[in-house]
Formats: sequence, C-alpha cells, structure tokens
Amino acid sequence: MSTDCQKTTAKTIPSTRRVIINNADHMPHDYSTTPGGTLFSTTPGGTRIIYDRKFLLECRSSPLTRTPPRGLPPIPGVTSPPSKGPNEKTVNGEVENNNSISAPETSNAGEDAQFEMDI
Amino acid sequence: MNNKFDALKDDDSGDHEQDQGSPKDSEKEKPEEDDKEQNIIKKKMVVPGPGEHPLQYNYTFWYSRRTPGRPASTQSYEQNIKQIGSFASVEQFWRFYSHMIRPGDLTGHSDFHLFKEGIKPMWEDDANKMGGKWIIRLRKGLASRCWENLILAMLGEQFMVGEEICGAVVSVRFQEDIISIWNKTASDQATTARIRDTLRRVLNLPPNTIMEYKTHTDSIKAWEDFHGLVNASGGR
Repeated sequence: MSTDCQKTTAKTIPSTRRVIINNADHMPHDYSTTPGGTLFSTTPGGTRIIYDRKFLLECRSSPLTRTPPRGLPPIPGVTSPPSKGPNEKTVNGEVENNNSISAPETSNAGEDAQFEMDI
Repeated sequence: MNNKFDALKDDDSGDHEQDQGSPKDSEKEKPEEDDKEQNIIKKKMVVPGPGEHPLQYNYTFWYSRRTPGRPASTQSYEQNIKQIGSFASVEQFWRFYSHMIRPGDLTGHSDFHLFKEGIKPMWEDDANKMGGKWIIRLRKGLASRCWENLILAMLGEQFMVGEEICGAVVSVRFQEDIISIWNKTASDQATTARIRDTLRRVLNLPPNTIMEYKTHTDSIKAWEDFHGLVNASGGR
C-alpha cells in the first residue's frame, strides 16, 4: 500500500468546510452546533445536510432572501408581486408573507417558544 | 465553495472508496465526477448561489386550486396544479416563501405542495405509487404555523429517514385545514413511525392529536369509489 501512495488520488477524510458568516445571527447558539448547519456523516442513509428550525429562521434575515425568485409566476392571491421597496408593509401584515410576520418569530425562535396547541 | 461541498458529500457517501486507495479506485473516481457535472448541466437543475446554504435536496413549490363546480378527474388535477418554482438553498427557499401568501390566507379549495425536485405531487408518480402519507387535520387558524414548521423540518432533514420523504402538502378546506407529509414506502413501518414521532416533535402537537396514515393505494380506491368508478379489471 505504501508504494502506491504516489499514484493514488485518495483524499483524506474531510474535516473542514468553510461557511461564510455574514451576520452575527448566523452564529450557533451553543457549542454542539456548527455554523451553517450540522453535518452528520453517520446518519442513516449517509451524509445529510441538517439544519434546525432556529438556524433556518435566522437565514431568513439574510439580504440574499429579499429579492423575489426569478421566474416567480404571478398567481393572483397566491404569489405576491415583486416587492416595491425594502420597507413595504401591507395593510395588516397578514396579506403578504413578509418581514412583518417573521420578525416576532425570529425573536423567540427557540424550541421552547412553540405555542401550545389544542385541536 | 459548492464544489468543495459536493466533493465532501461524495467522499462520505462512498465508504468503499475510502478504505484502500488502490489505483483502480482512483481511476474509477474521475469519470464519475465528470458524469455528475455533466448531468447537472444537462438537467439545468437549480444550484445554490455563492455564499448560500445548500439543502440536502432540491425542492419544488406547487400550487393547486380546484375549479369550482367542476368535478376533479386525474387529468384536471394535473392541469390545475401549477409549478411555482424550484430551489436548492436555504436562501432560495426563503425567496420563494417570502413572496407567497401564507396557507392560512388562501381562499377556496386550494393546496400548496412542496416536493423534492423531480417528484410530482401525485399518487401516480413513480416515487409515490408505493407510498403513503401522514395526515393531520387542523382547526382553522393553525395551518400557516404548522405548515412552516413542517416544511422547515423537511428542508432541514429532521426526519432522519434517508431518502424516504417525498414532499409535504397543506390543504385549505372549508371547515378545516389538513397538512400531510408523503413518503415512498408505505409498508416500511419503522420509517412511518419515525416520521410520526418527528411530526409530533416539530409541530409540537398535543398528545391527543389524531394522526392518520393513509396509503396512496387506499386514497386512489377511495377517490374512485367516491366518483363511482370501477377498476378496469372489474374488481374494486
């Protein structure tokens, strides 16, 4: 095996993955989480990119999420027209699924903040 | 950055390639990677933008609304369902989600579907035909919150059932709303049990919430019965 070392292109076990942090919010809140989601190599089914709810909600505040996606079909009452400005507000904050709604959620996005529900 | 990440995925998923780096293995590795790149170009799949957080799978948002007064048939179902778009990263997801109405504010008999890219939100799709779904009926007012929790769990791979998840649906109906999550293999009880337990956790459902598992073959049968159809074979 050692003689083959020059020929082989086998890679070392990857131990680093670079994650760009644009915002302090994207830092994990405890030491068992890595920025950018936790990468498990031994979950059933192989490698998985795992994100918890809190991290996903924090990503919502990224400037990258403000622009509407390209090719968003205009469906009246379903998809909203391209936003007019960074500070647009709808009548009661319910018509458009936008920042006005996400703001309170991100402030208490922890697992404990879930509402109690009676169905 | 994305390439680096892909390379990392490849390394971990193929255990056999890691143990002994024989020349044969290394020869095999190269063309495989090239193939993969070509496939991505060929299919024109969405990819995460620079600096974005990639998801385990690409997903597609769909929307459907039943035309009032017209009975639904399989064909009209497929015609009524509209693709909203596909995404590959957390940021791309939010871009769609933030420009869509919340399900609780939808009117009429309509649904949002979020499925892995390439899987149609239909019982007949190859990925779904052996599958089924967990159904949770919600009283009015809860759909938006539950839907968000459900899809965040799906996108973040919280279900831990390998490739089993196909997609999720929120259905706005007259007196109640329904959320459901679809998986590939209805007969796989370990998987369906794990999905149920994850649902309870991520939706924060009270213990007495009724959750129902329905196989798609049963759904098809019920649908045919309701519409007075009999199978071509004569039996039902």
